[in-house]
Amino acid sequence: MKSTLVSNLLCGAAAAALSFSAMAADTVKVGVLHSLSGTMAISETSLKDVLLFTFDEINKAGGIKVGGKKVLIEPVVVDPASNWPLFAEKAEQLLVKDKVSVVFGCWTSVSRKSCLPVFERNNGLLFYPVQYEGEELSKNIFYTAEAVNQQAVPAVDYMLGEGKKKFFLLGSDYVYPRTTNKILKQYLKSKGIPDSDIEEIYTPFGHTDYQTIVASVKKFAAGGKACIISTLNGDTNVPFFKEFANAGLTSENCPVVSFSISEDEFRGLPAKQLVGHLGCWTYFMSIKSPENTKFVGDFMKWIKAPVVTGVDYKVTGIDAKGRVTCSPMNLSRIGVYLWKQAVEKAGTFEVDAVRTALIGQKFKAPTGEVTMQENHHLINPVFIGETLATGQFKIIKSLGAVAGEPFSEKFLTKK
Amino acid sequence: MSTRTGHNPTARRLASVRWAVAGLAAAGLLLAASFLPLAVGAPAVPAQPTFPHRAELVAAVLSEDAPKQLELVKKLVEAGGDPLVEQALAAWRQGGVFLYETNDTRTPFLLDPQADPDGQARALRLADGEQLKDPAGKPLRFAATDLTPVDTDSKLRKAIKVTLDLFALANPDPKMRRDAVTKLGQEQNAEYLPYFEARRTKEREKEVVRALTEAVALTRTVDEDVKVRVAAINQLAELRSINSLQFLQKIEKDNKAVTSPGAKETFEAAHAAVQQIESYLAMGNLFGTAFRGFSLAAVLLVAALGLAITFGLMGVINMAHGELIMIGAYTAYVTQNLFRAKLGATGAGFDTYFLAALPFSFLVSGLVGLILERGVIRFLYKRPLESLLATWGVSLVLQQIFRHIFGAANVQVNSPSWLNGSYVVHDVLFAYNRLFVIGFAVFIVFATYLLLTRTSLGLQIRAVMQNRQMASALGVRTDRVNMMTFAFGSGLAGMAGACLSQIGNVGPSLGQSHIVDCFMIVVLGGVGNLVGTVCASLGVGVTDQILQPWLGAVLGKITVLAGIILFLQWRPAGLFATRTRSLEG
Repeated sequence: MKSTLVSNLLCGAAAAALSFSAMAADTVKVGVLHSLSGTMAISETSLKDVLLFTFDEINKAGGIKVGGKKVLIEPVVVDPASNWPLFAEKAEQLLVKDKVSVVFGCWTSVSRKSCLPVFERNNGLLFYPVQYEGEELSKNIFYTAEAVNQQAVPAVDYMLGEGKKKFFLLGSDYVYPRTTNKILKQYLKSKGIPDSDIEEIYTPFGHTDYQTIVASVKKFAAGGKACIISTLNGDTNVPFFKEFANAGLTSENCPVVSFSISEDEFRGLPAKQLVGHLGCWTYFMSIKSPENTKFVGDFMKWIKAPVVTGVDYKVTGIDAKGRVTCSPMNLSRIGVYLWKQAVEKAGTFEVDAVRTALIGQKFKAPTGEVTMQENHHLINPVFIGETLATGQFKIIKSLGAVAGEPFSEKFLTKK
Repeated sequence: MSTRTGHNPTARRLASVRWAVAGLAAAGLLLAASFLPLAVGAPAVPAQPTFPHRAELVAAVLSEDAPKQLELVKKLVEAGGDPLVEQALAAWRQGGVFLYETNDTRTPFLLDPQADPDGQARALRLADGEQLKDPAGKPLRFAATDLTPVDTDSKLRKAIKVTLDLFALANPDPKMRRDAVTKLGQEQNAEYLPYFEARRTKEREKEVVRALTEAVALTRTVDEDVKVRVAAINQLAELRSINSLQFLQKIEKDNKAVTSPGAKETFEAAHAAVQQIESYLAMGNLFGTAFRGFSLAAVLLVAALGLAITFGLMGVINMAHGELIMIGAYTAYVTQNLFRAKLGATGAGFDTYFLAALPFSFLVSGLVGLILERGVIRFLYKRPLESLLATWGVSLVLQQIFRHIFGAANVQVNSPSWLNGSYVVHDVLFAYNRLFVIGFAVFIVFATYLLLTRTSLGLQIRAVMQNRQMASALGVRTDRVNMMTFAFGSGLAGMAGACLSQIGNVGPSLGQSHIVDCFMIVVLGGVGNLVGTVCASLGVGVTDQILQPWLGAVLGKITVLAGIILFLQWRPAGLFATRTRSLEG
């Protein structure tokens, strides 16, 4: 109690006043399931940060209005430590022991697949915010993430529009790149690109020796009109782009579209070597809109003095240096707001009612309005951005709102 | 005009000369033959050049008839060298051209790239580059976000791009020029031929001339006339033009079973050309693979050499070896930041940071190794399994310390400019950073060899490693020798880290990604044998690079690992078994 008081005094009179009333107010437990240690910590910690920020934002604005009462969000943060089976255990803990109403979490597909049965068994609710390969639909998961037709397919379309005729699919060796590339190959074939003009190569996680691959890219690109579709994940991008630049390849003679490099990943990459290459996301930090200016501005302010207003929760482990916002962060935040609105509509935290209420929820996001569809995916605008030396993206094309579709056979046959 | 191009009179004169040349380039279309002598006489042209193409540009922007717009944009090729047209086209393509509308006039303009802090920039008219004024005569400024750009479709953007590409024929950077030429040549558009020819007569850079010849020949391979076609194909074969291979293969295929006149000749020429270029490629591939193999071997060797000393010679199972490498890499990072703070981020001063980083990282890692030996390892010489656990613990502690100081994310170590790029011989790439690592590997192996065989410390090291008790009895201070040896091995690991920072990532888990490879190399080479370490890294490196193109990176690595396991079944002591007492006691 005392520590709450002290921290509240620190964060200003207004917040303190609110929190006094909050002592009496109802709270709802909300789970945060992101790795805070291990290999994925670099990416996932940012999502934990933005979730806490969003909880604070909602609590400051009066919390969730359910049945005439104001309910504040109380975060329960666990650390699955980049350990896939541990994701399932921690999810179980959140749902059974802490009895949280909803969980926001997971980054890699394998972690999502690992805790999916737990959510289905306990009828929990999970919001998943990171671009993924699709071919999955659980009634207990809402995917604010970009589906393949909201990222990979538009990017390939853009490349085809630029007159590219040869595609080099390069990825890390795990489920997301392999599934995405399988879909892309079918898609490219439907667009009249013959198999001989598509090359597909995978490298292990943390691969450092890209000499041979870059040499084959160079050969591949020699005839012109070639591009690389990269699903390389994590820091393995550094040796790749270094080798790429040293071989005299540039974004002019062979552009690279990367699906796994957002502003946040950029912080650890040599931006100079990536200039001119492309990204495709449903959000860029450089998007100009009043909502985005507010989101970015508020987040940067919050990160310097992080609290979750109104509840007894101490925010720790926040690195305030050189922070950016990126698509998964934006999608995490959207998930929280959609859930809040659904709860308010349903008038209860009960999962089945909230699930029904979620369908058709709209939210004015930094990039424009997003809508939750019946298939648990968003209708969300898609953008193509070009990398700048500052680690930001310059938006070169807005592709408008695209309805997320998890199953490739549907969007492949539609065209 | 002069207000826009700058205040420096020399620059202005140079600029006007360039424009004059550009104006003539347009004329050169008609007078290709007399072009060169005229260009030499350029300074005689009046100082205020006229830009006939700006009006066309304005007309193109305002045009609402799509085919006509395309036509106009294509015609603008002749405006190459007019910086305003160039800037405007580039801006237009990326949505940076806007319309200023008053009652019934529409004036296209672009924004000065130099914007104010509030995001507003001067609006410049496309017609003359002067600042746009409102009817009251007040100069106008806008923020790009408040404006709607003149829209473009992909066809138009492509046309603009072609026009801009043709401008690139006059790019001052020869590399950009060469790339532009190659790209244009692959369009096989006969309209470009006069531009290529005109450029070739005045081009000085050998590379660009070659690219121009290649582009001309490639474009002519689709000529109507069989003789021209065959001559062009033969020329491409002579040039060993890798860039044209795919086109030649297509010609070969298209003319194979066709009986139309000339098809047979074309097929034969293309077939011969494809074969020539393919054998040239195979040759290049052989050398390329060899180089890549050596370079991977060098990386492995540099990383493993320190371990060959601490584990190989001394018998300490040093799981913290990777972290000593990491310390070296972070030392390079800190050195880079110090140099940047003192000498600026670019230039010759900054570029030398790496030379300072190498000895620094040797010292820092050596020091950490020394502390590690004194603090932990010396108590565990007789208990190798416990030293394994202890050094593993140390490695975790070191990782966490660095994560705490430098953050969990990777840090950026920029390569000095002399390590960027590559040296190209007959289309085989020799990347400078790879060449450096190979050279460095040779250097440290040689230095280690000299230290072990030509110095008294080396003699003592060998004595202690062969028989500690006997050496001690003969008056060698074995304790001190142990300390120095371990520090030396650690220092080598540190230098490896600095070296690896030029190739891969620098982050707290850098060591983790190398430790397995290092042990593998040392064990494969034969514990306690430096020659074995060298041979093992060469073997693994070259095999890996030979297998990779066939099997892919993942399967290639697995195959190499399986090969090593089988080899060790056959020869458990490694390539060169040395009898030491270090692992027997």
